[in-house]
Amino acid sequence: MEALRLEGVGKRYGRKPVLQGVSLQVAPGEVYALAGPNGSGKTTLIRLVTGLAFPTEGRAFLLGEDVHQSPSARRHLGAVVEAPAAFYPYLTGRENLRLQAYLAGVREESRIGEVLARLRLLSVADQKVGSYSLGQRQRLGLAAAILHRPKVLVLDEPTSGLDPEGVELVHGLLRELSREGVAVLLSTHHLQEVSQYAHKVGILGGGRLLDEVALNGREVYRLEAHPPEGALALLKTLPQVAQARLQGGAILFEGNPEAALQALLQEGYRVKALYPERFDLLTYYQERVKHA
Amino acid sequence: MLRLFVFELYKLFRLRSVALGLLFAFLLPFLWALAPGLKEVYGLVLASGWQVVSLSLLAGMEFLFPFLVVMAASESLGSEVAQGTLKTLLLRPLPRSLLLLSKLFATLLYPFVLLGASFLGSLLAGLPHGLGPFFGGTGLGAGGFAGVGLLTPGEALKELLRAHLLAGAVLVPLAALALLYGTLFLSTTASALAAVATLLLMRLLVAFPALTPFLLTTYLDLHLRPEAAGLGLSLLLIYTLGFAFLAALLFERKDL
Repeated sequence: MEALRLEGVGKRYGRKPVLQGVSLQVAPGEVYALAGPNGSGKTTLIRLVTGLAFPTEGRAFLLGEDVHQSPSARRHLGAVVEAPAAFYPYLTGRENLRLQAYLAGVREESRIGEVLARLRLLSVADQKVGSYSLGQRQRLGLAAAILHRPKVLVLDEPTSGLDPEGVELVHGLLRELSREGVAVLLSTHHLQEVSQYAHKVGILGGGRLLDEVALNGREVYRLEAHPPEGALALLKTLPQVAQARLQGGAILFEGNPEAALQALLQEGYRVKALYPERFDLLTYYQERVKHA
Repeated sequence: MLRLFVFELYKLFRLRSVALGLLFAFLLPFLWALAPGLKEVYGLVLASGWQVVSLSLLAGMEFLFPFLVVMAASESLGSEVAQGTLKTLLLRPLPRSLLLLSKLFATLLYPFVLLGASFLGSLLAGLPHGLGPFFGGTGLGAGGFAGVGLLTPGEALKELLRAHLLAGAVLVPLAALALLYGTLFLSTTASALAAVATLLLMRLLVAFPALTPFLLTTYLDLHLRPEAAGLGLSLLLIYTLGFAFLAALLFERKDL
């Protein structure tokens, strides 16, 4: 069963649709990154997934339970929906976590120390949150989110406001949680960073899920052929080739390179070069959003 | 649930409007005890410390106490929205109605704490005038401040306690009303203004005599009319339950 599942989720305010028909699934242990320009609906989607907002169409499930019908579905959920995360400024970090632990049904006091240590917050744990830096609050937010060992983690720009060490700490934590079987859905503008460990990227634009890009085991080939437009048109007709596109005078495609080469030579195209290339998520994203 | 309620109480008493309100309620009686124009305004020459207590209640219930209660109830939700902690709470597997109920119980307790602070401050401010038997009245019983003869401390205390409890009951639906607007607007200022505007509007409805017995504002002076407590308290309870029910209904499907 998917850890998180959205079925045609949409949200409109009055007549204005903010999100339309978004369907996606995140399996246990999978990291799903949501990317999209500002105003594309990422935060709205996160609010819908976490049950903070209600969809005007569709449904959201956490381990098979509808998050909007049953508040108890959120027992599986850990989330940070604001950057930096919000806490009571007059309580210490530890006291804030103690309150969160009570609300989440966590009885072990030692778990609070564990997550504080994991997020390198022990030295400020007994200081009032009002005196925390933005980065410390953001890390405390993550500590609160993982406090009850959730099976689904939903994070809105988790590295926002963090210094490079903090960013690395968060990425390391997410990798580790993913290996432990936690499903992670996060929104981000830092595609290069998350592409190191995300399994799938969903590209949002204009309130729609424009594309889903699977990053695992993805092999992309760079082809330099003349004339490139004709070669691209030919590749698009081949069943062994997927996602062919022009980029800076060359063609990037996925699929079978031998079949592609054979077809091009048969049709008389001049092939200058064909070699595997690391998938450039950022460029792909930029093109996908531009042509949306 | 109990721990949640205790935490809501803790948060409530950390609110600026609540801290200021309690301070004002405690200190204002000292001002009243020293006010030179009491005779001109209330026709009263202080004969006893007990009269300071009733004077503080009467003056406070004119506007200050209702306003403070409305502000506190509005801020109890509005401040959570402003600092983002409401979302943090609602991310937990907690029914929204339970959270709102805890907030409601905490805000419903506040009027009594506020009146308690006023009562305590008034007793202290009234000490120089003495708290023994006196010829006169508390302004809350027979004969007003002039009284009908000798009033013992026990009788005065009884009248004052009854009046404070009734005043507390009067303030309870106002807290529930402000919380209802709080769930609607998710803003301290907007909900406080809406609650005050509703009360002002209800006061205007006295022009419809058929409605008057059922208006919330008809019973805002219930502490002066204990004989109307039967119908008054029942209506105040109905208003409180009605506002609370509507608030829970709204909050259950409110986007955050």
